[in-house]
Amino acid sequence: MLRDSRRVLRPGGRTAFYTIHPVAGLTPAQRRRAARSGAPAVATARTYEDLLAAAGFTQISRTDCTDGFAATAQAWLSEWDASFAALAALYGEQTVAERQRKRRIQLRAIRDGLLARSLFTATRP
Amino acid sequence: MTSSEAKAAELFTERYRIGPTDVTRRIERTVIGADWGANGYTTLAQAGKLGAELGLGPGVRLLDLGAGQGWPGVYLALTTGCQVILADVPTGGLRSAAARARLEGVAARAVPVSASARRLPFAGGTFDGVAHTDVLC
Repeated sequence: MLRDSRRVLRPGGRTAFYTIHPVAGLTPAQRRRAARSGAPAVATARTYEDLLAAAGFTQISRTDCTDGFAATAQAWLSEWDASFAALAALYGEQTVAERQRKRRIQLRAIRDGLLARSLFTATRP
Repeated sequence: MTSSEAKAAELFTERYRIGPTDVTRRIERTVIGADWGANGYTTLAQAGKLGAELGLGPGVRLLDLGAGQGWPGVYLALTTGCQVILADVPTGGLRSAAARARLEGVAARAVPVSASARRLPFAGGTFDGVAHTDVLC
């Protein structure tokens, strides 16, 4: 995806994206837990800085926003719990319960220091 | 499409099946600070930051990958005046995004395209900026 982003950008064009990723320096076991607790994309062992450089981007920067991630993840969980019945009527009780279960796992991984969320920016030379 | 993309598409097709409702809009306003069909973690302030980082403004061409229901692509078209292509695999989300773009009067500048982010149907050098938020692929 990053390579094709670079291709469709004009020279001097920029990419900016928020993404969930494992915290740097985890043990292999922690990394596996981070991958299970987050999105499939976090399974990669390489950092986004490396991936962006390999895709041909320059001026790569990262801004950590994990604190906000934890707060937003907690807010989704709390608000969905508070409106469980209304959401279950829309999506089905099992679907809502499963989504909340995954949110709890993800929130624990954030609080245990395994998952982070960052804003990455980079330029197509 | 890769298997991870296919799985993500299946998940989000189901998630977008219902479209925005009163209860989901209310929750979104509390969690994100706006109700544009968000289901990730990009807050209103973070969407603004994305626009600033990319220098969005009138005439700037933005590609929003994994555009979902239009957050933050349609919002950025409205608030910055940029032109945005909303690319995603699940078409249900894009229909909601297109409806919101019409409602906001920015349909001419916010155009949905069903496409995989790994093989984009655009010529090289088409865009000034590429954005995505919590995309699963």
